[in-house]
Amino acid sequence: MPQKSFAVAMIDALAHSLKSDPNVVVIGAHSLLSDRGLKPEDERALWDAFPDRLIDPPTSEGVCTSLVTGAAMAGMRPFLNYGTATFAYEAFNQIMSEAANVHSMSGGQLRAPLTLHMFAGIRGGGAGQHSSSPQAMYANSAGLELVLPACPADAQGLLRSAIKSDNPTVIITHTKLLAMTGDVPDGDHTVPFGQARIARAGRDVTIVATSLMVREALKAAEALAKDGIEAEVIDPRTIVPLDVETICASVRKTGRLVTVDEGNALCSIGSEISAQVAEHAFDALKAPIMRVARPPVPIAFSPPLEAHVTPNADKVVAAVRKSIKA
Amino acid sequence: MALSPRDVLARMLLMRRFEEMVITLARAHKLGRQHLAIGNEALGAAALMQLTLGDLIYTTHRNHGHMIARGVDPGKALAEILGRAGGLNGGKGGTWHMTDPSLGFQSTSAMVGGSIGLSVGGGFALKHKKANNVAVALFGDGALDEGIAYEALNIASLYALPVLFLCEDNSKEGEAQTSRLATKELVAVPKALKIPCASVDGGDPEAVALAVETALAHVRLGAGPYFLEAQLVRWPGSHQIVHEFTTGVTDVTAAWDDAKASNEHAEWQRTDPILRTARTLIARGTLTREDVVALDNEAAVIIAKARAYAEASPYPKPEAALTGAFVQA
Repeated sequence: MPQKSFAVAMIDALAHSLKSDPNVVVIGAHSLLSDRGLKPEDERALWDAFPDRLIDPPTSEGVCTSLVTGAAMAGMRPFLNYGTATFAYEAFNQIMSEAANVHSMSGGQLRAPLTLHMFAGIRGGGAGQHSSSPQAMYANSAGLELVLPACPADAQGLLRSAIKSDNPTVIITHTKLLAMTGDVPDGDHTVPFGQARIARAGRDVTIVATSLMVREALKAAEALAKDGIEAEVIDPRTIVPLDVETICASVRKTGRLVTVDEGNALCSIGSEISAQVAEHAFDALKAPIMRVARPPVPIAFSPPLEAHVTPNADKVVAAVRKSIKA
Repeated sequence: MALSPRDVLARMLLMRRFEEMVITLARAHKLGRQHLAIGNEALGAAALMQLTLGDLIYTTHRNHGHMIARGVDPGKALAEILGRAGGLNGGKGGTWHMTDPSLGFQSTSAMVGGSIGLSVGGGFALKHKKANNVAVALFGDGALDEGIAYEALNIASLYALPVLFLCEDNSKEGEAQTSRLATKELVAVPKALKIPCASVDGGDPEAVALAVETALAHVRLGAGPYFLEAQLVRWPGSHQIVHEFTTGVTDVTAAWDDAKASNEHAEWQRTDPILRTARTLIARGTLTREDVVALDNEAAVIIAKARAYAEASPYPKPEAALTGAFVQA
């Protein structure tokens, strides 16, 4: 299997999509393709191959979202990249009221097969306006699929599935994942929605983590293994739809659950997973569920302040120990 | 308000030395991204030095120059850029969000178009309170790409709000173009919404001072908003994420020393607002070469002291991250 970076895997998914479907367009291509580790000649070749389908629009997130929604309803399969996730707030109405409602509100007569991509996460010095992890808000929309890739293979496979999906899909990439390298299957690799990945098998505790936090959970699991604690790390990969079955099966085996999520703890992805487990596997729980997430405060610029509220492997280890002691 | 050319040049030099210090500190402390205002000094100084107490200012991620132009403490500003407890915002805002309400800074938003929208709210409050003050929105030409710009201009015109829209047009056709408007005439947008407009050479502090004086007089009279477009030179280093001394450390003697002015930065030195202003004032006899060197040295001393303050300021305690989300009753 070829090794590639998360960023190049995403670009490869776009290239496969552009090649296989003439109705695919990429809007906001520049910030997705430039300086992402492609060889300059490969980047140039991509722009040359699709001169009318790689588009660098004005700084107009609102209308760009309307544009892709309208185009999707009229038969295209557009992909829109916002850059930093907070820029998509400029388009909240278009995402939440327009795109998410197309299919249901038309009584199933219309569909909006579009993909919305954004770079999120606590990135280092992003302060209040460039550090958001907004995934829970999109999960809460009703009508949007939500995808959180955590490794290069899933970056390519899930993005490919997002573009093929007939529903509006939000795909969120943590900025710190872009440089991660890993094995990616050859060719036009796809990963189906709604199937969690068991990133590490274990028997003592289930850690459900998303996006960059999968990496932190795996680090925590290695540290815990030195003390004989074997953690099972599950990456749901998609939140809408959510693979509750795999998560509950793991909790039935381990009896303990720690969720790890970079979003604000209040009404978070971790909250939803906790609620699902409490509803469907309560009898298997040997200890209270623990959530590792960011506290509900805007992220401050200063490095020690940012570090204090950023979820990481150490915080996961502490939560697991608390769960095991309980 | 008539500004003294000497004071304006002194302020411009302070702005330049401040940004050059940011480059130095960014390297020394491995800071992330800043958006520098090198090349914007004439506009910033000649416009913001005319504001008075009670005027409200709304700026952007490219705010350092505006802060210094308005007279913010450069030590506290550098400390904020370093994320220190002694910074303007106690380290919570950083380079993109510096705030000093005592001098009218209400918001420094890194969201494109953010300042235009909020300025309308400031204008609305000033009008409601019958204050003889203005709200000033500072933004780049790229902000006019956003829908909020149109909406804000429209409502400011409709309600005759006391807002000065000050557009720093630093777009350059081709490689460095930041706005993608279908019209190349930026003022066509406010004009269509019946807002009086003017365009000015943003590298000429006297032209800026005059244009801003006219604009402020209109707004303070209660005649509604005004849109001023200042065409800026674009500093060749501005496209970089981590800045370098792309055009060298500014040497004011290049204003008259032909040997220095003919180096690899000759094109920049021809258009650099600081050197341009120095040349004009010397040619006119307003200042001597020695005056210019003395003003530059004064600026360098102030900024060296600012650096010492900033680097001596401690980081805030990590637990401070958990407080301050809400006003405490």
